[in-house]
Amino acid sequence: MWLWLFQRITAVLLIVVLGVHLWLSNFGQGSAPLRAGLGVVLLGLALFHGFNGVRTVIFDFDIGAQGRKFTTMLLLLLGVVSLLFGIHGLWPLIVGG
Amino acid sequence: MTRRIARLFGKGGDLNARNMRLGIWAWLIQRVSGIVIVVFVVAHVVAISQASFALRGPLVTMLDGLRNPFYYVDRTFLAIDLIMLGIIAFHGMNGIRIVLFDTGIGVGLRSHKVIFWILIAVAVVASGLVIYYGLPLLGGT
Repeated sequence: MWLWLFQRITAVLLIVVLGVHLWLSNFGQGSAPLRAGLGVVLLGLALFHGFNGVRTVIFDFDIGAQGRKFTTMLLLLLGVVSLLFGIHGLWPLIVGG
Repeated sequence: MTRRIARLFGKGGDLNARNMRLGIWAWLIQRVSGIVIVVFVVAHVVAISQASFALRGPLVTMLDGLRNPFYYVDRTFLAIDLIMLGIIAFHGMNGIRIVLFDTGIGVGLRSHKVIFWILIAVAVVASGLVIYYGLPLLGGT
């Protein structure tokens, strides 16, 4: 139930944060650490929403209870790894400024 | 497996274009666009990280690299950005429609269709504005 709810919440948040991200990045406004920090937030939201969406699509197919457990774990792992990778990439911008 | 697919796309099937109405097209494109966007986001994150890792020059150059995920590959990749803009706009607006009826607003088939087309119009206008104001910034002509 929470995954369902958070999918909706992240959806709305994504629209807002993505808009701000596009505006700030393309017009070069706001300090670099601010934009990088916003990018990290955006990344977290997008990874949750996207990977949960992929999970939903996969679950439409009949893969069995074992398959569902495996898929959830795999997507969770991929999501966390991607988030850490993204934070690592943006770190010099957040710290350096 | 193949029989399931045949039944799905075959004569009386649910995903046969002849049998599909607006609602299920919206569902299908929402799904497909979602997956496309996930692929794009992963590529975007990798590309931005490359730009951040590889560039040790002045901040401006680094930010130039960040502006367009495929900036350092080829200018023709601008087309990918524009296409992704359209896909994301559709996915977002259809998503708003879904959130609306999840919260009970606009329940009923007529309202659905009206809301769908209104939000599609918003997506088109917003995309147009973004392209109009953003294209020179991205280096297109």
